[in-house]
Amino acid sequence: MSADTAAPAALTADAAVVGAGPAGLAAALELARAGLDVLLLDEQAEPGGQYYRRPGPEVLDAVGDHRPEGGRLVARVRAAGVRVLSGHTVWGVDDDRRTLLAASPGGAAVRVRARWVVAATGAYERSVPFPGWQLPGVVTPGLAQHMSAEGVRLGRRAVVAGSGPFLLPVACALLERGVRVVAVAEAGRPYTPGPASLGALRFPARLAELASYAARLARHGVRVHQDTVVARAHGADRVEAVTLTRFSDPERVVARHGVDLLCVGYGFRPQADLPRLLGCAVDRDPATGDTVPRLTPTGRSSVPHVYVVGEAAGAAGAPTALARGRAAALDILASSGRAPDRGERRRLAVHLASLAGFTRLTAALYPAPAELVPALARRLPGPTLVCRCECVTADAVRAAAAAEGGSDVPAVKGGTRAGMGLCQARECGPALEALRAGGPGTGTVPARVPLRPLPLAAVLELADTPGEDV
Amino acid sequence: MTPRSAARVEVTVDGRPVLVRPGTSVAAALLEQGRWDFRVDPVSGRDRGPYCGMGVCLECEVTVDARPHVRACLERVREGMRIDTAASGEDT
Repeated sequence: MSADTAAPAALTADAAVVGAGPAGLAAALELARAGLDVLLLDEQAEPGGQYYRRPGPEVLDAVGDHRPEGGRLVARVRAAGVRVLSGHTVWGVDDDRRTLLAASPGGAAVRVRARWVVAATGAYERSVPFPGWQLPGVVTPGLAQHMSAEGVRLGRRAVVAGSGPFLLPVACALLERGVRVVAVAEAGRPYTPGPASLGALRFPARLAELASYAARLARHGVRVHQDTVVARAHGADRVEAVTLTRFSDPERVVARHGVDLLCVGYGFRPQADLPRLLGCAVDRDPATGDTVPRLTPTGRSSVPHVYVVGEAAGAAGAPTALARGRAAALDILASSGRAPDRGERRRLAVHLASLAGFTRLTAALYPAPAELVPALARRLPGPTLVCRCECVTADAVRAAAAAEGGSDVPAVKGGTRAGMGLCQARECGPALEALRAGGPGTGTVPARVPLRPLPLAAVLELADTPGEDV
Repeated sequence: MTPRSAARVEVTVDGRPVLVRPGTSVAAALLEQGRWDFRVDPVSGRDRGPYCGMGVCLECEVTVDARPHVRACLERVREGMRIDTAASGEDT
């Protein structure tokens, strides 16, 4: 069990880091080692984020630890004196842009006021709706990976589909648990002329990992279809089958498979809503269509005391997340008069630039989400649930988007309830933004308070908490 | 293959005692029982199960020890825990 204690209602720190994944851990460690008082808030039961997420020790003993370096990093963070608040959901910010509003594991209100705020809120998987995606048994690749790491055999027959490098390790994780992966479907053509070509690219060492997954899938006889997407999931109360079609020719059926598990995901989207609540300027990333904070190379936002690090600054993988976390911390230390080693900062900048090159190269292998998502959204049959929380169909969204003055995203939301459900448009957001006809107004889903559904008590208690004079 | 470890903790799922592996999430424990019907979507009345596995989609919400709206993917099982899904009939 974790030893993180319950927090009193009002806390202060030199730096508040939100998110205990690779970037948040790296930033917190660097700041605490330099003598800053650091609070690290994270909504999961234990630090680690998604990349270093680990089940309990009993599971690790039984199943093995596939990323032991995560546990070591967490141990160093604790040893450096970082105050870790696990199970705490940050859901809003106060007007001073320095005070975070959070809910404790028991649902009690917690305020955290800090001189520096580091948002390391990570990314989540990009979903694109399709008929039947709301059926139990249809999951994201990330869920398949996490549950496999917990030792669960999620199904007997699975298809893994979507786009991006993540599909391959997920298919391998399922195989390892005894799930028969009948096919992997990739929307693009990254593996042409074949997976072997990966090794010939500019970063053979980094791509070797991807090539090794591809080789393992080949050994198991798993067919990797390219230019192929999920057209439909079939089933009554559970997923029973899937139809795969050509992305470039939707009329052409590639395969139909009976499955009890279907994993579909299109890469990762930055979770940048906390920076948006903090007033940080954002831009639309032309390649992904995602909303990303406008940042200096070391992660400083347009609000000088707010830094954004890791996947929240743009999905680029764990090595980049670690480096961004450290770079931001060194920048903060320089600004607070603790002169960090200049050479170290230069080395980190060079390292980040090289990682960015690798990220660009990998991204270039796969279709750009900014083009892929609208193409998929446009061809959705009318009755498809675009918003799975509120059960709003593609027809309804299209009608609202075409209505007089209804072309901006908030108007479509208001007119249909699409994106107003429990997930707050994190699952349907890309499709909602793609289905908007264009025209005036905003094309992006706004950030919304609270950032997560929470018990009313967590908000009401704040009204009784005396605010500090700013 | 699914690992076999001797240790088990007892929890209650929809009023019935069930032995689960310690250290796993509530979602993993239910999925291992073959359960995918975690909640009923209030709009359509249809079953929903875990989707994202990381606390974003809210599809895996269950009631834990009488606390409603607990994300099963983020909650660890504990000895004696009471887990109620939509199937318990005590819909929240």
